[in-house]
Amino acid sequence: MRIRPPVPFGNCLIGLLALCALPFHANAGPEDDRLVVALSKPLTTVDRLYSIQREGLILSRLTDDGLFFVDPQTLEFVPLAAASYEWVSDTRLEVMLRDDVVFHDGSPLTAEDVVYTFEWVINEESDTSRGPVIRSWLESVEKLGPGKVRFNLKLPYPMALRDMAISIPLRKHGTYDEAGGETDEQPLNGIGPYRVTEFRAGREIVLERFEDYYRDSPKANPAIRNMVFRVIPDQGTQQAELLSGGIDIMMDVPPDVADNVSHLPGVKRLEGNDIRIGYITLDAAGYTDPESPFTRLKVRQAINHAINREEITRYLVRGSAEVVHFACHPRQFGCNADGPHYPYNPEKAKQLLAEAGYPDGFSFKLWAYREKIIAEAVVSNLKAIGLDVDLRFVKLNVFSKVRNSKDMQAFFASYGSGGTADASASTGVHFAANSARNYSGDEALADTVIAAEQTIDPDERKRLYRQALNRIAEQAYWVPMFSYSQNFLLTPELEFSVPKDGVPRFWQATWRQ
Amino acid sequence: MLNYVLRRGFMALLVALTVSFGTFALFHFATDPAQTIAGEDAPQEMVDDIREQYGFDRPVLVQYGDWLGGVLQGDFGKSYFWKQQVVELIQEHAKVTIVLALSALMVTVVIALPLGISAALKPNSWVDRLALSTAVSAQAIPNFWLGLMLIILFAVTFPIFPVSGDATWKHYVLPSLVLGASSVPAVMRLTRTGLLDVLSSDYIRTARAKGFMGYQLILQQAMRNALLPIVSVLAVQLGHKLGGSVVTESVFSMNGLGRLAVESIFNSDIPTVQSLILIFVLTFVLLTLAADLINAWLDPRIRMG
Repeated sequence: MRIRPPVPFGNCLIGLLALCALPFHANAGPEDDRLVVALSKPLTTVDRLYSIQREGLILSRLTDDGLFFVDPQTLEFVPLAAASYEWVSDTRLEVMLRDDVVFHDGSPLTAEDVVYTFEWVINEESDTSRGPVIRSWLESVEKLGPGKVRFNLKLPYPMALRDMAISIPLRKHGTYDEAGGETDEQPLNGIGPYRVTEFRAGREIVLERFEDYYRDSPKANPAIRNMVFRVIPDQGTQQAELLSGGIDIMMDVPPDVADNVSHLPGVKRLEGNDIRIGYITLDAAGYTDPESPFTRLKVRQAINHAINREEITRYLVRGSAEVVHFACHPRQFGCNADGPHYPYNPEKAKQLLAEAGYPDGFSFKLWAYREKIIAEAVVSNLKAIGLDVDLRFVKLNVFSKVRNSKDMQAFFASYGSGGTADASASTGVHFAANSARNYSGDEALADTVIAAEQTIDPDERKRLYRQALNRIAEQAYWVPMFSYSQNFLLTPELEFSVPKDGVPRFWQATWRQ
Repeated sequence: MLNYVLRRGFMALLVALTVSFGTFALFHFATDPAQTIAGEDAPQEMVDDIREQYGFDRPVLVQYGDWLGGVLQGDFGKSYFWKQQVVELIQEHAKVTIVLALSALMVTVVIALPLGISAALKPNSWVDRLALSTAVSAQAIPNFWLGLMLIILFAVTFPIFPVSGDATWKHYVLPSLVLGASSVPAVMRLTRTGLLDVLSSDYIRTARAKGFMGYQLILQQAMRNALLPIVSVLAVQLGHKLGGSVVTESVFSMNGLGRLAVESIFNSDIPTVQSLILIFVLTFVLLTLAADLINAWLDPRIRMG
């Protein structure tokens, strides 16, 4: 039986093909001086004061400046919108402002703006993301003159410069008043080398070079005129976009993906050591069970000796990843301990277990939420010394709940220190008394860590961190595992530096000539 | 009919409430929303502040009661993650999902109906076998794989369509093919079976005797009856596409409800997840109801009871 099609398809098909020939979007690349960056996670705001995401920090380094910034080479905190600064006492910091800084709307930066920004942040009703942290150390801020402000601290706090560099971008006086808010035409009024021209939450952020940016800034004269941040959650889709010219750079690429894709034509790989570290925490305090085997030092030392960190680092983490021996990244200020190392030695691990009263091993749950392959390698190492390990691999939000409830006997996790090259961001965060990550129950250690966070003198801070880190190593509270490698895939036309602190600075990017 | 609609509506409400409380409780017992909102690297002060600010330190029943009270007054709350009213957020994302689901359904109909009809008209021929092979393949291929293959072929090797996004109609072509392909087997098989049954019935023989042939016989006489079960299946498939386009939306980076649901779950954005679940449940129920009503319209026997 023949059926005649009721609609002539031929004409429709030709029309469809003709439409398909029309361009659908402008490609990324040097031709139109437009760098397109893929983001895996959506940004809900372009205002760093209301963003907790790492992507927000990456963007903020383009659109905002703080009083200080992180020097990409030394990772030290140096003046940016500030011309100079002086610690008048341990709790008083005076900052002189530059006189050539202007906001994206053309108005000059004044002392009133700086006072407004910090007063807004410490105001509980402002509900900024960094408010609780800043309120913990900043008492007040006052204008001393046309270009001079004073910060009155509640306590000596050396990381004040870090917070000013990373967390507090400067805002124009009245920004958050009803009449002074951002508009669709100008989603953000910052002072950074790029201004936001378009923001579509969860989709795209478009930036344009700010031509009135102050010339003496270390971030001055960025080479690329326009930047677009596109949200593409799936890594496979990002790869396809890179191959088709839809994006210029992918971040946070897993090493195995980077290995495979970098061999394709039109793709370049950049790799370098990250400030993020991986570690295993053991329930030394006995939160899960006061009689837990992990409350015994020899058991914790046995675990440290049982894990083959060198091979895990070399074959699984790969690239520039390195074994770490202490509870911090070697690049961080204060990470200079000389306590015991625990080389891979399964025989010694078995011996220590026997001495601790567990010659036949014991059973426990190891929790993890990322890099399952590494967690499985750890399990394999621990099984080899007779331990019965049940790997609980869960999503991060489940992991956080169980960890914060102090219900984990042992967990494998990682920490990026928010890109801060200071031991306070790693050792301090994990061993402070109020930290949900602290499973040591060591009050003296917590006191040392807090003392280091509240000491201005750098040498004394180093001494305190050395003391804390040596104590952690001696007591084997952690199994410090490795620092990560970071991988980028990019178009060969792009020149870009791998960031030492894991937070890319796209103002440094240039097109290859 | 009114009783039937009311009964179905009441059942839908019960299902929606049960699922929504289950989800709410699971979020609170299995995760720490404050830590998730603050971020994994957040300092403890920030986590504690969020816990207090959002009221996560209150009993779960109290929190659920608050949320439900708001919903009953038309207030679905504010998204913890996006800091935006949930209703606005869903409206923004729904457009993409509705367009995608309808396009995908169109793809299903355009592929499955002709294939099913051809297979029924020539059973056990090469056309039939080709149709069945297509159905089996479409059933066996996972969405994400098909999506990536289409991207490689039609966006990378032959750059006809964009890789990802949802800005223009071109962005919808490949995702619609992927999402539509998953429903082809069910609809194609049902069309083939239904049409074979109808073609062997007495009234078709009579129609042939009266001179109905070819297109007129198949589309005007036979398909009207064969369509009954297909309409029900299409309605359910549309429900699946509206609520189950998660993978397709993720692969093609489309800002639809599926991706919003996934992001909300990972970010412990409870008000958004709760509202989406209500919407998905109600969508299924309404579409099933709509299918019943269309069937009644198509078939006088159902209409007359």
